[in-house]
Amino acid sequence: MTVSTTRTPSGAQDCEERLPPARLAYDATTWKEVAYLLLNLPVGLAGFLYVAVWLAMGAALSVTVVGLPLLAVGLSGTRLLGRAERARARWLLGVRIEEPSLPPRQLRRPGFFGWLWPALKDPVAWRTALYGFTRLPWALLTFAIVAVSFFVAWPVLGHIARGLAYVDRATVRGLLSPSSELERRIAELEEDRGVVVDTAAADLRRIERDLHDGAQARLVALAMGLGLAKEKLLKDPEAAAAMVDEAHGEVKLALQELRDLARGIHPAILTDRGLGPALSSVAGRCTVPVRVQVDLAERPAPAVEGIAYFTVSELLQNVSKHSGASTATVEVARSRHRLTLRVTDDGRGGARTGGGSGLAGLAERLRSVDGRFAVDSPPGGPTVITAEVPWRDRTAPRPGPA
Amino acid sequence: MNTAIDHGPDATATAAAHRPHRVPAVLRAPLEGRTWGELLYALTGFPIATALFCIAITLTATSAGLLVTFIGVPLLAFTLAGARGMGVLERARARALLGQDVAAPEPLRLRARRSRSTGLMAWVGALLKDGTSWRHLVYALVCFPWAVLTFVTAVTLWSVGWALFTYPVWQWTLPRFAHRPGMQIWGDSHGRSFYLDTPYEIGFTCALGFAVVMASPWILRSLTQVNRLLVSGLLGPSRLAERVWELEEDRGVAEDTAAADLRRIERKLHDGAQARLAHLAVGLDMAKETALADPPSAVVMVEHAHGEVKRVLQELRDLARGIHPAILTDRGLGPALSALAARCSVPVTTEVGGLPSRPASAIEGIAYFTVSELLENISKHSGATTASVDVWRSGNRLMLRVADDGRGGALIRPGGGLAGLTDRLRAVDGVLDVDSVPGGPTVVTAELPWRP
Amino acid sequence: MIVEDRVRVVIAEDSVLLREGLTRLLTDLGHDVVAGVGDADALVKTVGELADGGELPDVVVADVRMPPTHTDEGVRAAVRLRRDHPGLGVLVLSQYVEEQYATELLAGNTRGVGYLLKDRVAEVREFVDAVVRVARGGTALDPEVVAQLLGRSRKQDVVAALTPREREVLGLMAEGRTNSAIARALVVSDGAVEKHVSNIFLKLGLSPSDADHRRVLAVLTYLRS
Repeated sequence: MTVSTTRTPSGAQDCEERLPPARLAYDATTWKEVAYLLLNLPVGLAGFLYVAVWLAMGAALSVTVVGLPLLAVGLSGTRLLGRAERARARWLLGVRIEEPSLPPRQLRRPGFFGWLWPALKDPVAWRTALYGFTRLPWALLTFAIVAVSFFVAWPVLGHIARGLAYVDRATVRGLLSPSSELERRIAELEEDRGVVVDTAAADLRRIERDLHDGAQARLVALAMGLGLAKEKLLKDPEAAAAMVDEAHGEVKLALQELRDLARGIHPAILTDRGLGPALSSVAGRCTVPVRVQVDLAERPAPAVEGIAYFTVSELLQNVSKHSGASTATVEVARSRHRLTLRVTDDGRGGARTGGGSGLAGLAERLRSVDGRFAVDSPPGGPTVITAEVPWRDRTAPRPGPA
Repeated sequence: MNTAIDHGPDATATAAAHRPHRVPAVLRAPLEGRTWGELLYALTGFPIATALFCIAITLTATSAGLLVTFIGVPLLAFTLAGARGMGVLERARARALLGQDVAAPEPLRLRARRSRSTGLMAWVGALLKDGTSWRHLVYALVCFPWAVLTFVTAVTLWSVGWALFTYPVWQWTLPRFAHRPGMQIWGDSHGRSFYLDTPYEIGFTCALGFAVVMASPWILRSLTQVNRLLVSGLLGPSRLAERVWELEEDRGVAEDTAAADLRRIERKLHDGAQARLAHLAVGLDMAKETALADPPSAVVMVEHAHGEVKRVLQELRDLARGIHPAILTDRGLGPALSALAARCSVPVTTEVGGLPSRPASAIEGIAYFTVSELLENISKHSGATTASVDVWRSGNRLMLRVADDGRGGALIRPGGGLAGLTDRLRAVDGVLDVDSVPGGPTVVTAELPWRP
Repeated sequence: MIVEDRVRVVIAEDSVLLREGLTRLLTDLGHDVVAGVGDADALVKTVGELADGGELPDVVVADVRMPPTHTDEGVRAAVRLRRDHPGLGVLVLSQYVEEQYATELLAGNTRGVGYLLKDRVAEVREFVDAVVRVARGGTALDPEVVAQLLGRSRKQDVVAALTPREREVLGLMAEGRTNSAIARALVVSDGAVEKHVSNIFLKLGLSPSDADHRRVLAVLTYLRS
């Protein structure tokens, strides 16, 4: 069984609904479709008039000064038309289409041209304009067919409506969806960024909690014990000695706790020596014998190292907790622009990335940095988990607009 | 130390650069470097645009004609690739001569990730589907007529303008070498003609030339403005691609900040509490041994250990506050910020108003640390006697304003503390604005997206 | 005499280690720990049951951060207990002190209330003194809280007019200490402390008061206003 969590585009495909089965009975779906088709006429007419008037006027006047701004305003308006049409399709046809992303705020250059040019270039607006323009004939046709068959072909009205609505669905999807690859990528990245920021905040809160509940509490108890021992030392040396002994044990425990916490935050060996030694040290703490093979000529950016480290250590924890394996292997290698991690064990298999499991959390965390995560774990084993993280160099600046 | 707001003498230097020029802009225009650049752009534009147009139209037409055969599609792709190459040249020309800095568009996205094929066909397919390449091709076609117009206008205006303007200087050559009294304006077969030869006429011609010379930079500028728009619109990265880049960078910044935060905490734990505790353990071990044998010296040891534990606790408390203050989790921004203000060495008034609910904890955290860093800067560098912190919500933005009456002159400088803050905020689509004239007051406004 | 000094304590602390440590400490020094609980709800319930049985404890020692939400339920429980059982002293312990919480605890009444950093437990004597003081209706505020109050007071000019020694005395006074305790802490005579106190009240324009908790209230109200 292979559960691969490579990203599916979060756009239309995800929520693409199956068409409701065609039935002779006039259920709500059919009535909604009929209503949609009848509404086509007024809406189509309005859309056509709007687009034709604004755009024709703008185009005709574009030799003068006011033409282009007029065209730009008209185009911005078509975005509203698009929104209304998407809402209508969602309501009556059940076609769920994501809103195209708005022009990003901070990219707008100030000034008149800064507004005009992007507005004129807006591909979403142009597609919507095309939609408004081409709708009218179809709207006339559907209105006529539905209105006539309402009286003449009543028994098959449902089928006719279904057929016509199918064309409408396709048109709406084709022209009003945020089709471009880039738009999808933007939505993806915005989500990713949110995940990264939230994870970071949650990490910090967790560390604060751990400190509070662990080392700090222990040290308060220790301080109290020492305070008492100090009082008693001269009066009752025997009891005091026992208390100091106890305090000594407490200090060692507190140290251990802090060490564990620090390792969970960002192990020093990872900062100092890089992935190879750090992973060997994780492997050394695993209850199952682990062979570690790290094949890297240079070290990636600290953030990449961190993610790789925590992915492997969580996977190894899973191996020792759940797999029942007798040996495991960790392989780390670079393949051009990706850092590939593979953790294999000979345990009982059957691992999956179901919701709520540790693997699902890992998958999400990796996805948020454009990483990938694949689990291959047939029942009976062996389990092979592969993770990929985009490689970033230590010092090289991130690619970006010059 | 990276948290310094950079109060420096640079502020005065930039002020000096904006000193008004002696000659008004209108008179300087014809001789300015910028104008020469534009003129050169217009002159070079003609041959280049002509060549581009010819190549583009030939290749496009040929490949369109050959589309039915198998060679047409690769040829079209080749044309598009060529158009992209031309874009490099044109952007460089616009940068050098017009000062128009247009970023290179996104590189071709080979969809190898899915199809796993990186061969010729993948490349061809990617090119044909790539909107940017098509925009480059459109540029090659569209810029030609405009380049011709610009060229003709520029050459005409320049030669006529300067010729007329300098007429008084070379007017004497006409009677001597051309055997006519001056420039001929009009003449017919009956021998009636009009020459510019009286001093008034010469003066008028000169004035006319002057007017043309003065006007031509502005005309040229408006003509090249269209070129600028063409270059930035058709050869630049698309708006969406820019946004993708920005977001990729943001995400990278967010990752790096998070990793750096964790490393910082680890380092502090390691150097502070852990080191102290290790030391303490040794001390207690010894005290344990001496407790029965020599109680008075054991008391000294235990007292030392006791003091040490208290210091560790203090350190851990400070560290925990730096990680994520508990009061922020418990009570939200208002109380957390006023607690922060209470710790500042400068008296600070805080006002947190109009927050009907609490924003996402990540946003709260960033807002808190922004104010914390700004207040730290104020107490360290500003020399202020009072400061104020205002927080409010405006639409779907969370606004922070930190003001002080210090000496001002704070700048966002690469590598400085304010630049770090700016990056941190930008990573969540936030904005930081610093208004700090030398002499003060300083007002720093930050804007964060409101996420519930 | 021994009966006089013996106070009956309820401890609310989610860390077992600390709860047991505190219990041992207080028992060691001759006090009764009548109950130890691990969260705020149990605390309110236990105190209620004890009160119903006519055995209201003298003082409650509560941690701020306890299950289930691990935020500030200790403070909330303390405020509620003080409202429900006016005679009960409440001493809140925390890993961090916030002036905001102090304000909530002190709201309107400084009788039998304390707010200390957990670190203070290390000074065994002083801590037990504070517990007893709160049980007897006195006040125990952490020096850090007092410093925050002094720092954020809007009457900076008046605070600045105090001499350093007077500011020290003001701080100790705000912590809830008696004149003789202040004298011991500063290693001066009781008379000298009295003089400082009357000077402070003069400079702040407050009328002096004998009852320790009432003068704390006066000072705090002044600083907060």
